[in-house]
Amino acid sequence: MGLRQIWIIYRHEVRCALRERSIVVASIVVPLVMYPLLLWAMLAGLSFVAGQAERLTSRVAIQGLPEAHGALADSLAAHDRIRLTDWAGDRESAHRAIAEGRLDVHVVFEPASVGAGGVVDNFRVTIWFSEARDRSYGARNRVESAMAWYREALIDDVRRELGVADPVWADFVVVRSDVATPVEISRSILALVVPLLTLIMVALASFYPAIDATAGERERSTWETLLTVSASRGQVATAKYLYVATFGALGGLLNLTALALSLGWISSMVGAPEAEELAGTGIPLAALPVIGLGIALLALFVAAGMLAFAVFARNFKEGQSMIMPFYVAVFLPALFLRSPDIEFTLALALVPVVNVAMLIREVIVGSVPVLQGGVTLLAMALSVAGAVYFAQWTISREEVLLGSGQGGLLRFLRGRYSMLRRQR
Amino acid sequence: MSDQPVRAEGLTKFFYDESRGEIRAVDGVDLGCSRGEILGLLGANGAGKTTTLRMLCTVLEPTAGQAWVMGHEVRAEPERVREKLGFYSASTALYPKITPRETLRFFARINRYPGARVEARVDDLIQRFGLADYADSRVEKLSTGMKQKVSIARTVVHDPPVLIFDEPTVGLDVLNAIELRDIIAGLRDHGKAILFSTHIMSEAEQLCDRIAIIHHGRILATGTLDELRDETGLHYLEQIFVHYAQTAPVAMADASRGGGRLAGGPE
Repeated sequence: MGLRQIWIIYRHEVRCALRERSIVVASIVVPLVMYPLLLWAMLAGLSFVAGQAERLTSRVAIQGLPEAHGALADSLAAHDRIRLTDWAGDRESAHRAIAEGRLDVHVVFEPASVGAGGVVDNFRVTIWFSEARDRSYGARNRVESAMAWYREALIDDVRRELGVADPVWADFVVVRSDVATPVEISRSILALVVPLLTLIMVALASFYPAIDATAGERERSTWETLLTVSASRGQVATAKYLYVATFGALGGLLNLTALALSLGWISSMVGAPEAEELAGTGIPLAALPVIGLGIALLALFVAAGMLAFAVFARNFKEGQSMIMPFYVAVFLPALFLRSPDIEFTLALALVPVVNVAMLIREVIVGSVPVLQGGVTLLAMALSVAGAVYFAQWTISREEVLLGSGQGGLLRFLRGRYSMLRRQR
Repeated sequence: MSDQPVRAEGLTKFFYDESRGEIRAVDGVDLGCSRGEILGLLGANGAGKTTTLRMLCTVLEPTAGQAWVMGHEVRAEPERVREKLGFYSASTALYPKITPRETLRFFARINRYPGARVEARVDDLIQRFGLADYADSRVEKLSTGMKQKVSIARTVVHDPPVLIFDEPTVGLDVLNAIELRDIIAGLRDHGKAILFSTHIMSEAEQLCDRIAIIHHGRILATGTLDELRDETGLHYLEQIFVHYAQTAPVAMADASRGGGRLAGGPE
């Protein structure tokens, strides 16, 4: 096999890649800083929006409020973030004003359709607002809260007048109770996000190395230099394959580390993380080896696929466009299959890439699908072997190595077919 | 069996192109090169020089015929062949992100130069080629002349007995071209068997001990400049070349139809 030759070329490829800015950024920096950046942006954005919305005064127009309920108008007027506006126009002009941002809500009181025992001038109320505008939406919430408070007080008065005892009333409540622990909720959210992001990161981290290892050689005119060294084409292809897979796996693992550090930081602010989980992420420690194995399998598969596509490119630009369909094909199925209601069946365990995403999802929520896991391992091992064989075969072809590379993989296969037919 | 370090018999290469069909780039080439000799492969663009040399250094696989480098057959033992030769051409560039020292180390190790002697060999070449001041700067920062020196140093770093130079002076200015030719002559004096392809007549006249004229993929004549002069009765190599090219059998041109350059493939 000549492991020494593979090792020498592999080290050389990695050394060159670590000095290439685009590769370092895509394969190392992005996976590391993505989570902290996203979290920071999310928190900063949310607090900015909340702060902005909180500061704004809601402009509220009231129409048709019965005199008997003047207290409601008083309570609205007393709210320091609500400004009552007289509205002389008709309903349509009020709605237009809301749409244009001149008014936030239009509260219309109408007589109740059925009479109510103890309530004088009972009414039904409609709050007109625009969900397309945050300020209007916030105003609706404020008015609704004030209404709810007034309604409670009104019903309380009526209850007292009717002589209904307090205990009877107090027991008539609806209580919501969640059986999921905070850790379980955290896991279920991570199970949606982590598999997809892992796929994207592994693919992204392999992307530039795959182009660099093939089209990059052609663009730099170093292909022929490398082909004249004392190593077989198989050894050259293997070294390049391992180099791309290394960066893919590195990207995936760094991504997981960044996730742990970022969520761990938030968790430490909220409370101490549990000992048997990954730095407060809710991911069970026992799941880590499986996730690590999943990342390795993904990296091995993706590296082979990307090399097989990129080897036909004459330069970086062509390489990018040739790999892109494969890149999208890798993570697109996982995008649709991440719903927790989709079961990890044996059939899905046979589908490469999707099976790893599903397996990662399952171990994050704490289940151990042994049979599906075994099938996944087997299916991925076979897929990786097939992809590596195909990539090696493609890379070793004379017409691919020294050919113009026009047309990509499909044209190459068509050319091979027509040549075989001619020979026959 | 001949003891020549490089030998080819009936070396042939066909390419297949979807639109043009079969292209005969090299057709039955016989040649040999001895130790301490520069064999010039002289031909016009598209004559088959690069394809012949690429077959000898195992980058391309011959369609027919055989060739040996230091006794190793190019198809049977390609890695052993590559271990015994150094290949240099205008299209064999260097890795821009590593330094000349790292470049030489890499090519010495991958070409199986004894590990214990790699550092001494690298230091020696850095001194000999005047690279000391730039040995630890990245290749991308070097001038064209310095890059060329690093390129030659990497070609010879594993001390191969056979060297192949494929149009090495293409794109070089006069001074760099002269320096390169001096280096190649020096390597010949150290006993290397050198194959040197060019389409520049003066270069072949000055540098080559023997000249093989190649046209439409076939060797038309081989000999020293004096032998070629005697055979044709002409004095200048340019005249000699034109003489052979014009008297070549018409069938040859027909056979190598479409013999123009195939992008990235045959010369």
